[in-house]
This record gives sequence, C-alpha cells and structure tokens, in this order.
Amino acid sequence: MTVYESEIPGVGHKFELELDGEERLVVIIHHDGKRELYRRPSPNEDSVKLASLTGKKARQLGSILEGAYFQPVEMDDLNVPLGESIIEWVEVKDGSPLVDQTLQQAEIRQQTGVSIIAIQRGEETISNPSPDTGIDSGDILVAIGTREEQAELSDLLTADDEGN
Amino acid sequence: MADPLLVQFGIAVTAIALIGALASRISLSVIPAYIIVGILVGPNEPTAIGGISLQLVQTGEFIDLLAELGIVFLLFFLGLEFSLQQLVSNRDRLVKIGFVDLGINFLLGLGLGVLFGFSWLESFFLAGIVYISSSAVITKSLIDQGWIANAESEPILGTLVFEDIFIAVYLALLSAVALGEGSPTDAALSIGVSVAFLVVLVAVAWYGSEYIERLFETESNELFLLRVTGVTVLIAGTALALGVSEAVAAFFVGTMFSQTDHVHRIEQVLSPVRDLFAAIFFFSIGLATDITLLADILLLLGVAVVVTTVGKFVSGTVSGRFYGLDRTRSFRVGFGMVPRGEFSLVLSTLAISVGTGALGDLIPAFTVGYVLIMSILGTLLIQHSDRVTDVLETALA
Repeated sequence: MTVYESEIPGVGHKFELELDGEERLVVIIHHDGKRELYRRPSPNEDSVKLASLTGKKARQLGSILEGAYFQPVEMDDLNVPLGESIIEWVEVKDGSPLVDQTLQQAEIRQQTGVSIIAIQRGEETISNPSPDTGIDSGDILVAIGTREEQAELSDLLTADDEGN
Repeated sequence: MADPLLVQFGIAVTAIALIGALASRISLSVIPAYIIVGILVGPNEPTAIGGISLQLVQTGEFIDLLAELGIVFLLFFLGLEFSLQQLVSNRDRLVKIGFVDLGINFLLGLGLGVLFGFSWLESFFLAGIVYISSSAVITKSLIDQGWIANAESEPILGTLVFEDIFIAVYLALLSAVALGEGSPTDAALSIGVSVAFLVVLVAVAWYGSEYIERLFETESNELFLLRVTGVTVLIAGTALALGVSEAVAAFFVGTMFSQTDHVHRIEQVLSPVRDLFAAIFFFSIGLATDITLLADILLLLGVAVVVTTVGKFVSGTVSGRFYGLDRTRSFRVGFGMVPRGEFSLVLSTLAISVGTGALGDLIPAFTVGYVLIMSILGTLLIQHSDRVTDVLETALA
C-alpha cells in the first residue's frame, strides 16, 4: 500500500492513499488546519468531495479509525493479552458427568487447570461463580486457561464413566 | 468633506468586509470585489449616488502605507511558500511548462504594447501585467471546484511556482531599470545596488537558516509576530530606501524563512495580518482608480482580454499535455490559468511609482480594468469549464 505525499504551494499538503484497484482516497490538509477528504474512483474521473473537517473533528475521526473508541476483534489475528491463556466458552451437554455437581465437587481446577470465570445460564450470566454453584445441563462455562488445559476441560465434560 | 482618518479607515474596512461577504455569497473572487468597492467610495467617479456623496474615503499617506504593507506581505508569503524541493523534484516538466507559459503570454503582451504604440519600457510593464496569473484567485478556485484533488492541479500549480520566481526576478530588474532612469551610470549603479542587496539576502537565506531558526525561537505568539513583522518590514523599507523594490526584498525575506521550521507557525500567526493589509491594498487600488480614464484604453483592454485569454488557454492546454492529461483535463489547465490578479496590480503600482508617460496613468487604469475582467472571467471559466469545453468541442468538430 502506497501513500503519496506532495506539497501544494500556498494551500498545504496533499496525501493520496491507494485503495482497491484504481480508487484513491485524497486528503488535503490546509495550512489553517482544515482537512478535506476526497475519493477518486479512477485516474480519469473527478475527485468527489466526501467531507470537510476542522482540525478537531479530523483528529476525532482519526481516533475512531484508529480504533480508540471501539476495537473490533479481527479473527484472523486474534491476540488476547493474557499471555498463554485463552478464554473459551464450552457447553455442558446432557449426560455430561458434571451435571448436578457444584463447581467444588467437580474439582475442575484441580483436574484440568482452567478457572471457571463465569457461567451463562439461558439469559443470565453468573459471573465469578462461588464454589457451591451448581452445574446444570445446557450451561455454558466460560473458562480461562492454556490450550492444553482447555482441551482437558472438554475431555472432562464429555468423559464417559470409563475414567472413574 | 473629509472625516477624521479613523472614521475613514472604519468605513474602508467595513465596506471591504461587506463586499467580501457578498462576493463569497455569489462565489466571486474577493480581489475584484475589493477594487470595485474602492472605486465606489473613493474620491474619483462615481462621486455621488442620488445626491448622496460617495466620496467617503480619501487617498492619503495612511492608506498608501497600509497598501504598501499589503504588497510586502503578499510577496513575503509568496517567498515563504516557495518550495525549492518541489522545484528541484519536478525540474524538467516545470521548466518546460514554465517556458511555454512565458513564451506565449509574455510575447503576446510585448506585442500588444508595441502594436498600441507604447515605449519599450511601457511594453515590458504591460507584458508582465498580462503574463502573470493570480496565485490567490486560482488557488481558491481550485479548492472550490475540487480540482485540487485531481491531476490537473499539478501543471496549474507548477506553472504558478515558475511564474512566482520569474516575477520576483522581473520586478527586481524592472524596478532597477525604471527607477534608475537617467544617465547610463545611474542605471548601472541602481542595478548594481539592487543586485548587491539581493545577493546579501539570498546568502543569508542560504547559509544563515540555522541562525534565523534560533533568532526567532520563542514561546509567545505575540513576540513571534512582532519579530517576523519587524524584520520583514524593516528589510523591505531599507530596500526601498536603496532604490530596490520593496516587494522583491519581501519575497527574499520570505524565502529566508522558507528554509526554517518556522514556516507553519508564520502561516498560522501572520496570515490574518497579510489578509488585512492585502485587502486594503486592493481597496486602495480602487481608490486611486479614475474610471473615466478607462475610456481612453477601451480598445486596448478589449483586445488584451481576448488575446491573453486565448494565450493562457493555449499555453495551459499544452502544459496539460506535457503532464499526460487527456483533452478535457488539459482544457481545464488552460481555463485555470486565465485569472490575473494581485501580481499584475503590484506591477502597476511599480509603474505608478515610476510615473513617466503612460506608466503614470494609462497603464495603471488599464491594469485595474484588466484585472477586474480577468479575475471574474477566469473564475467563471473555471466554474463552468465543462460546459465551455462542450461548446468548444462542438465548434472544433
């Protein structure tokens, strides 16, 4: 991706940003701080003015584009700042050995290493559940732990009675 | 009947403000508007409307001084925004289009002067006046039309850069020759003095930019404004005292700053100062204009308008072709170069200060009429370029 910068004598600076194909986004920054935003569909077409912004508004728009107000999760490079740990949502299916046990009885942490940080039960979310919270079928457990620990948890949830 | 100066000045600025608002409402360039309002409220015809005197503002030293400051700041900003890098990076194409523009339009002006029986010096003034396009009017029109984001803005702005350099040198030469008229020794001496003075300025600009940088380093905008204004006006005034054009000196002071990091701050802090004084400069041109003189130069004016509009259109279209633009866009470059304005008026102010023969009356009157027509016509051509292009293409087909 190329950004072309040029000086416009007596006006300010012009930046051109290549978009898809021949389309370009043109930003003119005037000496007085005014910004103008144009879109040029192709080199042979006229630029269409999209907006004229004061310096302050332009900075706000810039922040929005930068993601200062809302940071979308881009799935292709998910990078959760928890070191090795990830958060997983796992459903407790009917017939799971953990159904009708409390968290304490299920000994999830001791057996797998993950911590259950919340339970979603239908519409409600029990955050930071206490050790005596029971597990129902259909619950969604929100668990934090490494990939290996998460794998242990799904094994535990689907375990038949072989292991015991 | 002359009111106190303060009242006159108040009337002047208020009139400028009103006409400026009106001009932007109908998207007309402000330069002709300021001149027209100057003509209206000034001491010359029209003097009254329905029995009410219109001679509200008198010309005088005070207005002249402010107008002079207008010239100084216009040229100072021209030097300030003069970008050596841009010049060097596009050297080949810039020189090409610059010389096409100069060759066609300057020679047309010279031809007109000779044809209408002016002396050589007068013809050279006339050539400069019809050659130089208006950076102010053109740049504003480019922004208003949105062309600034298109390819056609490049040859237009490039040509303007070339013209700006040319006019700085040309002003220096013309003023040296014109003001040093008399014996050949006087002329040589005056040219020698101006060259020496400008060489010193350029040398300071070239080698002293670090020093200038430090000298103008200050937290306070107020002190900054005072320093820059003080230095600029003092150097321009000194130049004038030595018989060098103050406009040229101001241009070089501007280039002195253009090499420093202060450019952006000067633009922010001093733009209002320039706008105020420049507006008064255009207004004062109107004040000094005697429109009854226009009758004597009507034919010259008519011929000049037609010939030099076609000249700029042709040179601009050729320049657009050099930049590889298609026909429609090349035509736009042609239309874009038509407006004339502030620099033609600066030249005519120099002509008045020489004041011999036609330089004292006919050429200034011509310039005012010419700039009024060309700035308005040029703006209209830019605004309606697509329609005019359609008409032209049917005519050419």
